[in-house]
Amino acid sequence: MATVTTNPVGRTRPADSPRESWSEKLGRWVFYLPLIFMVLFFAIPMAATVVFSVFERTMFWMEPGFTLFSYENFFFSARLTNFLDSMKYSLIAVAICFVLGFPIAVFVRKSIPQVAQHRVVLLFILPFMVSEIIRVFALRPVLQRNGLVNTTLQNLGLIDEPLTVLLYSHTGVVIGEVMSFLPFIVFSGFLAMEAVPKYIFEVCDDLGVGPWRRFCDVILPLAAPGIFAGSVFIFVNGLGVALLPNILGGPGAVNAGLIATQAITALDFPLAMAVSAIMMATLMTLLWIGHRLFDLTRILSPLS
Amino acid sequence: MTKTPAPAVELRGLAKHYGDVVALTDVDLSIAAGEYFVLLGPSGGGKTTLLRTIGGFHRPTKGEVLLHGQEVGHLPPDKRPTTMVFQAYALFPHMSVTQNVGYGLKVAGMDKAQAAEKTAAALEMVGLDTFADRRPHELSGGQQQRVQLARAFVLDRDILLLDEPLAALDAQLRKDMCLELKHLQEKVGITFIHVTHNQEEAMTVADRIALIANGRLVEHGAARDIYRAPQKAFTASFVGENNLLSGRVTETAGQTARIDVGGTALRVDRRGQQVQTGQDVTLSIRSESVALDTAPDTEEDGTSLVGSYNEAVYLGLTTSHLVHLPDGTEMVSRVIADQDDMMPAAGAPVRLSWQPDAIRLHVE
Repeated sequence: MATVTTNPVGRTRPADSPRESWSEKLGRWVFYLPLIFMVLFFAIPMAATVVFSVFERTMFWMEPGFTLFSYENFFFSARLTNFLDSMKYSLIAVAICFVLGFPIAVFVRKSIPQVAQHRVVLLFILPFMVSEIIRVFALRPVLQRNGLVNTTLQNLGLIDEPLTVLLYSHTGVVIGEVMSFLPFIVFSGFLAMEAVPKYIFEVCDDLGVGPWRRFCDVILPLAAPGIFAGSVFIFVNGLGVALLPNILGGPGAVNAGLIATQAITALDFPLAMAVSAIMMATLMTLLWIGHRLFDLTRILSPLS
Repeated sequence: MTKTPAPAVELRGLAKHYGDVVALTDVDLSIAAGEYFVLLGPSGGGKTTLLRTIGGFHRPTKGEVLLHGQEVGHLPPDKRPTTMVFQAYALFPHMSVTQNVGYGLKVAGMDKAQAAEKTAAALEMVGLDTFADRRPHELSGGQQQRVQLARAFVLDRDILLLDEPLAALDAQLRKDMCLELKHLQEKVGITFIHVTHNQEEAMTVADRIALIANGRLVEHGAARDIYRAPQKAFTASFVGENNLLSGRVTETAGQTARIDVGGTALRVDRRGQQVQTGQDVTLSIRSESVALDTAPDTEEDGTSLVGSYNEAVYLGLTTSHLVHLPDGTEMVSRVIADQDDMMPAAGAPVRLSWQPDAIRLHVE
């Protein structure tokens, strides 16, 4: 305030330097908290993953250096085939989730009264009340050789020999992925349908737009960003969640997450880091493509 | 019967129930081809339900909908000769103006060149030919409604249903669009059925008006008749600014009835309605037909009432003088503001008078 007293009489304090109370100052800093959090617990560890992936492997840990041995180890071994296979089966899981889950989302938006919609969607959270490991493990008695599915099919006389492809195989992993991740496509589909105004259906009725056309020409383009976001989520989890192939998979039926976990078990930390870095790169490429195609920012912006 | 062309729309004993809620009941109505018809009424009165039933978006609970003499109760919206302009700016957000207008033709499988030609012609008709490549969010509300009109016109269906098409527009734009709608209808020559709760909008566009309230068709007729000579007290309360007086019949002589209103005897033309002595009736008189003067000491003449002056409400073009009758009823006399130089004091006795044919009797 000393400057004010030295000013000529009649001049007031410049408008651009109002005094800030400490709570205003704090208020400004609160906005940086998420940023600090993300840098500390996301950006730095992610960068470290890339850095560690080129370190030299030692007996129990690793030491600074630069070698692409881990990447070589990944790309010139069965790991690459396994990784590409897990991408393929993740895609299949995404497709199945979409076919099963998106119609549910459309149905909830279109045919359930507004007040009840959120409650219906909440029902899909129920499976998450049970620990994932138990949920996934519980699939074993259903899918195994003398499990529920096989016994039922045999008793109905539909098959003579029990189906062995259901468990400890890619099929088992895909079944587990669909079961675990279906709710996500329902959620994201439900949100995506927010971009599809209800009047659209009446306009379609009036113009005589059939169901298939309606889906391709109207619902899909409008809901695309949301559907893509849900699909990426499922795809990335299909690649990364080690638990599913660990419990339901078998020889060859692994995913990137399990490859990394196995590398850690074998105390090959640079390899684990390299696998993680490759997964990250895959995800970022996917997001970039998605953003170019659909402008993902539209997911969060209401239509004008 | 077969010689006269069938009306564009004919409703017979139409009713629509939602569970126990009765949205529409006993609607009989006939709308001629090429007419601009307005369904007017308060919100929740059933007018939109009626429009949607004509369009095929609802199935009626009872009754029949005939379009050009054909029963259409079983047909979906796109198989009817009707098309709808919705209240919300109901356009496909991801399509350009041209794509929006042409989509119906594309769905119908029309040849591309022909569809493009029709689309361009429709856009020109609604004055949007220079906006063909815009997206809906780049258009104003009025422009978006024009796109809806163009989308409806290209389909070549000859009954256009408009569900509160101007409700989301601001007042000035609404006035302009009203006139434009009227002119478009004259140009295109198809039947327009327009739902609104705004009586000014209704008056501007309508050839004929039907009043819908509480799920019933209250009254229908030419726009002027509805305003000048409403049959029902409800119509009088909803259209124009009417003073409603309740009274009791004391005597009938020929076409004239004597009605006692708060102790004053008034003379009213029965206009063919049957009334009995002692019956409770409603009288209505438009506020602009009521003259105000400060000489209340003249004797009762059957076309005037005495009350105490309350206040004046200046409305620009007109001024409304509010007067309390002895029984507490409020009456309004509306005069052109600039002619007004007399301002009685609040509570001063004043006389309200009118021409004998300005007051109407409603029996309900």
